[in-house]
Amino acid sequence: MLEIKDLAFEYGPDGHLWRFDFSVPAGECLAIQGPSGSGKSTLLSLVAGFLPPASGRILWMDRPIQLLKPWQRPVTSVFQEHNLFEHLNVFTNIGLGIHPGLKLDESQRQAIEAGLERTGLAGFGPRMPGELSGGQRQRVALLRAILRRQPLLLLDEPMTGLDTETRKILYAMLLEEKARGITMLLASHDEEERRILADSHWNL
Amino acid sequence: MFSRLIPALLAVSLPAMSAAEEPAVLNVYTHPSFAAEWGPGPAVKEAFEEQCGCSLNYTVLDSGGDILQRLRLEGSSTPADVVLGLDTGTMETARQTGLLGRHGQSLERLALPVNWDDDTFVPYDWGYFAFVYDTEQLQEPPSSLEELVNAPDDLKIIIQDPRTSTPGLGLLLWMHTVYGDEAPAKWQQLSNKILATTQSWSDGYFSLFMNGEAPMILSYSTSPAYHMAIDKTDRYQAARFNEGHYLQVEVAALVESSDNKPLARSFLDFMLTADFQRHIPLKNVMYPAIDLGDELPSVFDKLIAPPEALYMDPAKVASIRRQLVNDWLDALTN
Amino acid sequence: MSPHTKAAPFSHPGWQLWPGLLLGTALLLLVALGLGSILREAGELDIGPSLAGSYFQSVVGFTLWQALLSVVLSLALALPVATALARYTGFPGRTLILRLMELSLVLPTIVAVSGIIAVFGRQGWFTGLLNIWLPGNGWNLYGLSGILLAHVFFNAPLAARILLQALDSIPPPRMRTASQLGLGGWWLWRAVHWPAIKPVLPGVAALVFTLCFTSFAIIMTLGGGPGTTTLEVAIYQALRFEFDFARAALFAMLQLLICGGLWWLVFRKHLDTAVLPNRRLSRPVPLFARPWQGFSAGLLLLIFTAFLVAPLLAIILRGLPALWPTADTPSIYQQLLPATARSLLIAIPAGLGSVLVALLTLAAANRARRRWFAIVPTVTGYLPLIVPPLVLGTGLFILLRPQLGNTMQGWFLVALINGLMAVPFVLQILRGPLTSLDAGSLQQADQLGILGWYRWRWLYWPHLRRPVALALAYGVALSLGDFGVIALFGSPGKPTLPVLLYQQLGSYRLAEAAGTGLWLLGLLVLIFVSLSRVPGVKSRTTSAASQPLPEPEHA
Repeated sequence: MLEIKDLAFEYGPDGHLWRFDFSVPAGECLAIQGPSGSGKSTLLSLVAGFLPPASGRILWMDRPIQLLKPWQRPVTSVFQEHNLFEHLNVFTNIGLGIHPGLKLDESQRQAIEAGLERTGLAGFGPRMPGELSGGQRQRVALLRAILRRQPLLLLDEPMTGLDTETRKILYAMLLEEKARGITMLLASHDEEERRILADSHWNL
Repeated sequence: MFSRLIPALLAVSLPAMSAAEEPAVLNVYTHPSFAAEWGPGPAVKEAFEEQCGCSLNYTVLDSGGDILQRLRLEGSSTPADVVLGLDTGTMETARQTGLLGRHGQSLERLALPVNWDDDTFVPYDWGYFAFVYDTEQLQEPPSSLEELVNAPDDLKIIIQDPRTSTPGLGLLLWMHTVYGDEAPAKWQQLSNKILATTQSWSDGYFSLFMNGEAPMILSYSTSPAYHMAIDKTDRYQAARFNEGHYLQVEVAALVESSDNKPLARSFLDFMLTADFQRHIPLKNVMYPAIDLGDELPSVFDKLIAPPEALYMDPAKVASIRRQLVNDWLDALTN
Repeated sequence: MSPHTKAAPFSHPGWQLWPGLLLGTALLLLVALGLGSILREAGELDIGPSLAGSYFQSVVGFTLWQALLSVVLSLALALPVATALARYTGFPGRTLILRLMELSLVLPTIVAVSGIIAVFGRQGWFTGLLNIWLPGNGWNLYGLSGILLAHVFFNAPLAARILLQALDSIPPPRMRTASQLGLGGWWLWRAVHWPAIKPVLPGVAALVFTLCFTSFAIIMTLGGGPGTTTLEVAIYQALRFEFDFARAALFAMLQLLICGGLWWLVFRKHLDTAVLPNRRLSRPVPLFARPWQGFSAGLLLLIFTAFLVAPLLAIILRGLPALWPTADTPSIYQQLLPATARSLLIAIPAGLGSVLVALLTLAAANRARRRWFAIVPTVTGYLPLIVPPLVLGTGLFILLRPQLGNTMQGWFLVALINGLMAVPFVLQILRGPLTSLDAGSLQQADQLGILGWYRWRWLYWPHLRRPVALALAYGVALSLGDFGVIALFGSPGKPTLPVLLYQQLGSYRLAEAAGTGLWLLGLLVLIFVSLSRVPGVKSRTTSAASQPLPEPEHA
């Protein structure tokens, strides 16, 4: 269970405060909706630890995580784009998600290859992100997020701009993860995304 | 690529570290042109080691001034036994350090144009400062300092700075001995002919003179010997000046704190033998300190013979040098 | 909680801060101790008479004046050259020009100056042509004109390289806007180029100013006479000829004060001078240009190239006969090859050391939050430019003399000082690229736990490979051509390349010296060319890059 308790973030020089307070049961997906600039991305960044909250608490399984560094939190983020390191090939991009120094054993390497095959990217390991289409890049990003095996997935407009075929693949992957018990936070203004993935909704 | 180079480089440098283990070692501080592979250093080392059964080590410092500097800084803990490469300009400062001992040599063997009875410094070569000119650019060089000073301004010369170079200081003393108090005025007269005042002899000779920038450069009367004997060309000659030429003497001395004084003295003694001196004329391009007789290369007969050797006692030089340099600065900057 | 039980090596933030901070402090201490030991050796310091004399005042005046003029002229050339290079990326031989720009700075002064004289001197090629076209033009290299010409030769390429970096990092959207609006000429400059150059210009000016302020051999060879004396000459005179430690230390401190003050002014505004582009346009944007603009830019680059090439050509022509052994000339390679090995033995560690110090310094500068913490690493970058190596070396010698037993220690010191001297340049090259990672990448790296050593290995190193290679080339090359420091500590009769060069010069072996000069030039070219081949950031796989992508059937 993810609990956001009275989390506040000071925005801009005028000291405007955003406040967040909600919870997500484990294994469910909460969709956050609201117009542009309403703080969807800010909320996800706060949960990921990229931004420091002014006050409030974030609890994961009853343990406060708001003071932990990003790499110590049980979360993985997938953004609309720029998820990959452009100068590293697909295999390395995924591998760094499994071990931050790319020290992989044979089973982990096989897991990456198997994952690529499952997502229709067999043999793409040595490719550079710049050579991939938007949909292919997003599949790589999601595959990395899944192989990282973190219990909390933060999705920030993950499907925007992708074609229907790619969306189908990504939906399948995400739903499979959810079925495995992964908790998700989805920030999206896309009706279809929310309908297919989310179990509950929260308006900003 | 580099990782493969480093072991090779270490292999090159390791022998240098083990040399210090030998029993009798004579440490000599000297300057690059003496110790260079083609200089007198290597031949002298071989000849001396053969007769002393010891090992002769050179430590090469940039110039005579640096030898003195190093000696001063190290004081009595210096590993040097002998310093070789000081000259009349640095002698007095070196003497005042009190770090040098008496050489105890008989100086009768010396063949210098002046009397030498110093009990600390032993000359090993000498030469005259002179203007060397390019015969292809200048057919009739001035025959006296006075003629040079009065020459039209389109005769360009290259000199060296007395603040940073030995020949530069030599010219300053030359002008002073010839003109005395009139020297600053003469310098002013000369100034429009000075194309460049370089930091060192090398800068002027290599960058300017050999590029044909000026037909005359302040150098040594022995310079043409090298060009004639080694380069096989008569193109560069020294101009003989009627007032006489200022003398430069290069000296060696024994270091008082040396543990090897007998060996150091025997080196100074060896220095005034033909086995040492025969390497001086063409390898150091200076006159030998003793009479070499027939062994003196024949090109030396073709060099100019100054009518007089101008020379001031080093102690006197030391006392007036700063004043002379300041007068020179005033004459040329105002 | 975290999937990785073992933290990444060196991932504690202290690893980024403290090594650089400690190095900077050590350098400050080193300089203070160096100066201090000279002062102690000097005994009493009588400031009044030294500073009051008209000689001294005119020296300081001239030093400032020539440095100021050199800066103005170098920038006046560097600005249009950098703009032209930034605009016309398709200019034939652009890479060649960049390599040439790197060379002029690292050539040993005496070699470069002899090349300049062969072109612009009384008997030079340029002067000859000028006299044919413009008889009675009154051109004279010797004097202030020669000093300025040589300073422009050394510094304009450096300045242009830094400015080009700034221009190359103009954000693509701004360029696209300029392209769409059809901006050209004045308004392109005003709206696009100038805003990019403005922040780096004071830093470049300060760098060039410092280099010209401390110039020495150029001033003396081309200056004509004692009317053109710089502080550095006075320091040399005091230290090497008059053994007047007090005066030497006094002048050195004054130099430190003037240049340090200048840097302080620059640093206070947090200005950058970085040589390498930290962001490249994916594709050059076509800009509006009138035909004559392209023509004049081409002409400018052509003249600039000729200006850089001609002296190098003179060095080549002069040195070639010695390196081309015929039957009757003894081979000089027996001396050149071992001397090269000895030089590399000093220059490679010095170069590697300078890169390491620069990286740690930059890491500390980026990490430092408190004001004084930020000052120390900045000082590391500029102090070595200002402190005369002679003074630092002598001070260190006095400091270390009881321990300074053997030659190896002397050589270690030489490598150390050479490395330190190279740090300011290396730092300028690495600063931009090291801070170029975008915020998004950094966030992701944070989340994935790519920290410490891993972050360096997987994020920085791929981006920094090329800049580090260029920085290493500068570090090695600067040490390779250095003569001043090694001469101070003495060598066991076995010369390094610059020492060999000076030995040859000192004993009439002028043709061989020219050969050694050319050999050094060749070696420097080799270092720069081979290190410039280090692959940069990849955006495409090398093998399959040209083939069209096989789209999977269900995509």
